[in-house]
Amino acid sequence: MTITTCADTGTEAVAATPQRALDIAGACKSYGSIPAVVDLTFTIRRGETVALLGPNGAGKTTTIGMILGLLDPDRGTVSVFGRRPAQAIAAGRVGAMLQDGGMMQGVSVSELLSMLRSLYPNQMDMRRAVQIAQLEGVEGRRVDRLSGGQTQRLRLAVALIANPDLLVLDEPTAAMDVEARRRFWREMRQLAGAGRTILYSTHYLDEADENCDRVVVLSKGRVVADGTPQSIKASVATRVLRFTSAFASAAALERVVGGDVLTVRGERVEIRAADSDSVLRAVLRMCPDAHDIEVTGVGLEDAFLALTVTGSNQVGVDR
Amino acid sequence: MSQYLTLELRRTVRDKRYLALVVGWPVAAYLLFSTVFASAADAAEGLPSKVAIMVAMASFGAMGGVLMGSGARLAYDRQTGWLRQLSLTPLSGRRVLAVRVLAAMALSLPAILITFVVAALVRNVGLAPWEWSAMVGVLVLGCIPFAAMGLIVGCLADGDSAQTVSSILYLVLAALGGLWMPASIMPAPLQTVAHILPSNHLAQLAWAVARGEAPQAADMAVLLAWFIGAAVIAAFAARRLRQRA
Repeated sequence: MTITTCADTGTEAVAATPQRALDIAGACKSYGSIPAVVDLTFTIRRGETVALLGPNGAGKTTTIGMILGLLDPDRGTVSVFGRRPAQAIAAGRVGAMLQDGGMMQGVSVSELLSMLRSLYPNQMDMRRAVQIAQLEGVEGRRVDRLSGGQTQRLRLAVALIANPDLLVLDEPTAAMDVEARRRFWREMRQLAGAGRTILYSTHYLDEADENCDRVVVLSKGRVVADGTPQSIKASVATRVLRFTSAFASAAALERVVGGDVLTVRGERVEIRAADSDSVLRAVLRMCPDAHDIEVTGVGLEDAFLALTVTGSNQVGVDR
Repeated sequence: MSQYLTLELRRTVRDKRYLALVVGWPVAAYLLFSTVFASAADAAEGLPSKVAIMVAMASFGAMGGVLMGSGARLAYDRQTGWLRQLSLTPLSGRRVLAVRVLAAMALSLPAILITFVVAALVRNVGLAPWEWSAMVGVLVLGCIPFAAMGLIVGCLADGDSAQTVSSILYLVLAALGGLWMPASIMPAPLQTVAHILPSNHLAQLAWAVARGEAPQAADMAVLLAWFIGAAVIAAFAARRLRQRA
């Protein structure tokens, strides 16, 4: 087990400006001797939609727990709209959906939502929240008699009813089918358009690709990449080049591909290239008979896997 | 906050297990005991047996409503994660606690009122209107130590075990407090115990009113002492809970 020490960045922490919805500076959190989050630093501006990506155990839930004031960082600071998380929550500016969030038992969906609604200064219309969460037709049902998927959607409605400036969603689409998921993202894009800040964690990487401005990739409690979905993809080998050639020899091709990843299986060659255009030109000079040429883009999933496996921007896996 | 209180009350009253335990039981026990001991010549507590038993059973039910209402439900909501979700709303922990104590106190009412109505209608217990209302008042307010005791259980025990612990506490306090049989017919050592327990002093308040007297300051002092002691322990238990979370 590695014992990770963490620099105390308290003095370096920049005072959060009002433009920032979230400011995490040098946050560390350990459970016993096991570090969950190590020197975590990132900020989210108002109005951004950010996906928190990472495999299980990467520190996503710990990060969300600190943002919501459920956990105090051992070191460093977490501030929401320039205040302590608890203060932002007390002001009714944060709506949160926890993966395992418990609900009040023995009351109906609409009773629960209207009670929670009464606690917030800037409430969302009941029907709107029910519609976005796709709970139409189950408003009268008892909370303890909902199916798993309905309970998950109720958690979303509970987060929405606050009409919050910052919406924090922990794996919101986990129990949704494809159609529900599509509808969900359509609604989220509308909510985001209204200047709201949305932070969500997800395992569905294609969703992050299409529905967020920015991706923060966590691995082993650290930020390993932070940028637009496009830049995350660009930071790793962005294209895969495949072709078949009788002249294909690993030794000769090594010189062409440089730092890129090369796989040769008989006459079939696969190259993961950062700059596929120049590699392709070089390949065509060397192997004039090259045929069945394919150049495909790497999905965010591949980019993500590469980042989290090696913890750096270098692609080290051969898939 | 008032909407949360209303909803807390509404969902408890819907709970059939709660109603059976803290309303059905005292009323059934009243009907049984007041039949069996109807001819008791020298009634306990200086009251006709149908009145003395009515007060004992109303105290029994009231205490149960408060103990179960605060303890078992708190543990359950802690276990399901509802309290955690509630901590993500603007409602502060202190106000959540206040709502739960108020709700638990109010949950003493169904048992008191229904026992009184049954006694008046079925056993023809006739008391002055001020006596009825004063008895309701002292029984509700006198239940405050049980709300604090319930919170201790709710903070320290989990779901089902909190239910069990509260039930045991409920029965022990009722039996040893002289609610099932008058303390005066208990063996001497148990009588001493009865006179320490808050359950006995709760009933004493209402017995005094039923005799047409003012509630005794000594009974109130004992209940207050139990409340303070239990509240201090509950505060420590709640702090421990927050640190663990």
